[in-house]
Amino acid sequence: MATTKRILKEVERLNKDPVPGILAQPIEGNIRYFDVLMDGPSQSPYAGGRFKLELFLPEEYPMAPPKVRFLTKMYHPNIDKLGRICLDILKDKWSPALQIRTVLLSIQALLSAPNPDDPLANDVAEQWKTNEKLAIQTATQWTQMYAKPSQ
Amino acid sequence: MYEYSEDEFMAEGDDFVYSASDYSEIDDGEESAEETPNQRSQPVGTQTQNNTFSAGAGFDDDDYYGGEGGEFEPVIASHSSKKPWEVDFKVFDPNELRAKQEAIIGRMEPVLATSKDATTLLLRAYLWKDEPLVEDYLTDPEGTLTKSGISIDQTSPCTMSGDPDFVCEICFCDGEEEEYFAAPCGHRYCTACYHTYLVGKVQEGASWRITCPTHKCKMLVGEEGARLLLKDDEENLLRYNSNLTRSFVNDRDSFVWCPAPNCVYAIECHVARSALYTTVPSVECKCGNRFCFGCQIADHMPAPCYMAEKWLQKCRDDSETSSWMKVNTKECTKCRSIIEKNGGCNHMTCRECRYEFCWVCMGSWAEHGQHYYNCNRFNEESSKEARDSISETRAQLERYIHYFTRYNNHEQSAKLARKLLATTEKNMEQLQRELTLSWIEVQFLNDAVDVLSICRSTLKWTYVLAFYMKTDNQMIIFENNQSDLESATEQLNDLVENPTSHGAIEDIKRKIIDKTTYVKSRWETLLTDTALGLQENRWQFTI
Repeated sequence: MATTKRILKEVERLNKDPVPGILAQPIEGNIRYFDVLMDGPSQSPYAGGRFKLELFLPEEYPMAPPKVRFLTKMYHPNIDKLGRICLDILKDKWSPALQIRTVLLSIQALLSAPNPDDPLANDVAEQWKTNEKLAIQTATQWTQMYAKPSQ
Repeated sequence: MYEYSEDEFMAEGDDFVYSASDYSEIDDGEESAEETPNQRSQPVGTQTQNNTFSAGAGFDDDDYYGGEGGEFEPVIASHSSKKPWEVDFKVFDPNELRAKQEAIIGRMEPVLATSKDATTLLLRAYLWKDEPLVEDYLTDPEGTLTKSGISIDQTSPCTMSGDPDFVCEICFCDGEEEEYFAAPCGHRYCTACYHTYLVGKVQEGASWRITCPTHKCKMLVGEEGARLLLKDDEENLLRYNSNLTRSFVNDRDSFVWCPAPNCVYAIECHVARSALYTTVPSVECKCGNRFCFGCQIADHMPAPCYMAEKWLQKCRDDSETSSWMKVNTKECTKCRSIIEKNGGCNHMTCRECRYEFCWVCMGSWAEHGQHYYNCNRFNEESSKEARDSISETRAQLERYIHYFTRYNNHEQSAKLARKLLATTEKNMEQLQRELTLSWIEVQFLNDAVDVLSICRSTLKWTYVLAFYMKTDNQMIIFENNQSDLESATEQLNDLVENPTSHGAIEDIKRKIIDKTTYVKSRWETLLTDTALGLQENRWQFTI
């Protein structure tokens, strides 16, 4: 049960020393399923928004990466309509030495630095490349519309 | 496809339980164990037991791949026996592949003057291309090692324990009783986690490319380290070793796996990519599969790879469409538009050029007068002319269909030849019984069928060559060779199919043997001619 030990330890550390702007807690009755709230990074079109994510640790964790998905609607070239995230460490670049904390930090970093050259949502990426200003404007609008902390 | 076969042989090759140091002591006793159940039995006497086929003078030096590790040493049978269309190749079974790797590593170890593990990893990282490796390593040993993810420090990997400060960053176990392992980079993880990590990678098919589990760390775990961690896990150790052998073949341009299902053999052949335009490197695996080394599809002599590929593509794209067009459409005799008649009477008006004509005879409608619905004007001058003037596109289509039909015919006949083999065996038994002939005396039938099927395959591809060939005198010579072989093959086919209906057995036997010899010589003539012709650029091709 080494895996459970690791997960408990991670939860403990997340509670004791939380990541600024990220709240991750396992739901009651399932230590592998986390509700995550992430603040949009300042200096980005997502600033001021609070985004909901779900994070699931599969049976093989930490040998296999966690499954993470945005539940809040996002306008971002590497996040698709279903909230799925295109991020290398969630796929082939996963390392068992990475943790929930590092994964969430990487996702937050992805919000600050969208990568339209490796898109998941093609239409968004196209917009991002042809008219970045408009794309950022849309992203800001979406943040206002869907990710207001009061909602 | 190889997974099954590799596991199969790995389960039998017992040398893998040896440690790396006594790895080279492959005992001879296991030769007998390498016969796997899925290996087709070889007919005695019809196939040479020697691994090297069609040995001969070899290519010029610049035909070889530059700087690939290991020398290629086909056993030279006789220089004069090598035919112009043959290439040198060697078949390797899994044990021989391992021995080959060991030999290359053994040869390079003193050159690089480093440890065996480092030499092995360097060779693998350089895809066994020894020349660039030696050059880089002798110029900058440390840089070369670091770039390849290999430690400069050459200590043997081992597991340790006894550090009270140790914490495994994977499972968070800690304390001095925890046993841990680290790749040369020094990132420590408990052996249990390291093992699980390694197993996951091995089951994904990885071998030497497995790196330290730390994010972004490029340090290779190394074979010694991997073997140490997997030492009590025989299944995954075998798999690891089989992955290594697989990568040895896959990483090298001069090796391919035999594409036959469940075949465990690999083939080495040195033909430069650029030579594939004029050479067709047909090889025959020990399992009996004949295939092209260059593109790994079934043997396509005498057509070169690029042509075969183009043709197969064309067949996939065109054959359905063009046969449908041939059956269902006609061309407007005036503007060549392709027209499908989807209803209505025979009085057609071309939508493109408004030409009015009769669908039946293709003649101008104006001459039909009162003969509505009933065209009896077949011999009329104008309609005859209209039919004669087949347009260029239609002619090309006809041409394609012509060659495709013949190509396809030989393909079908080759399939039948395989069936014929079954009946032949029955015939042979029958002859043996009825005429009290010995087994060896009825082998001529088998030989004949063998020759038949190889000729069918060659004939099939001659039509592809002809399809792309520009018509000139050289082509006529080629077509004569082709037609000679074709008619001889058909005659032989007829003789073999009904051996007993052609008179007395002695008579037939002589006839079949004579015909087989003749067909074979025609086959050799054709292949010699095409092989030389391609090298001399004797023909002009439309692609």
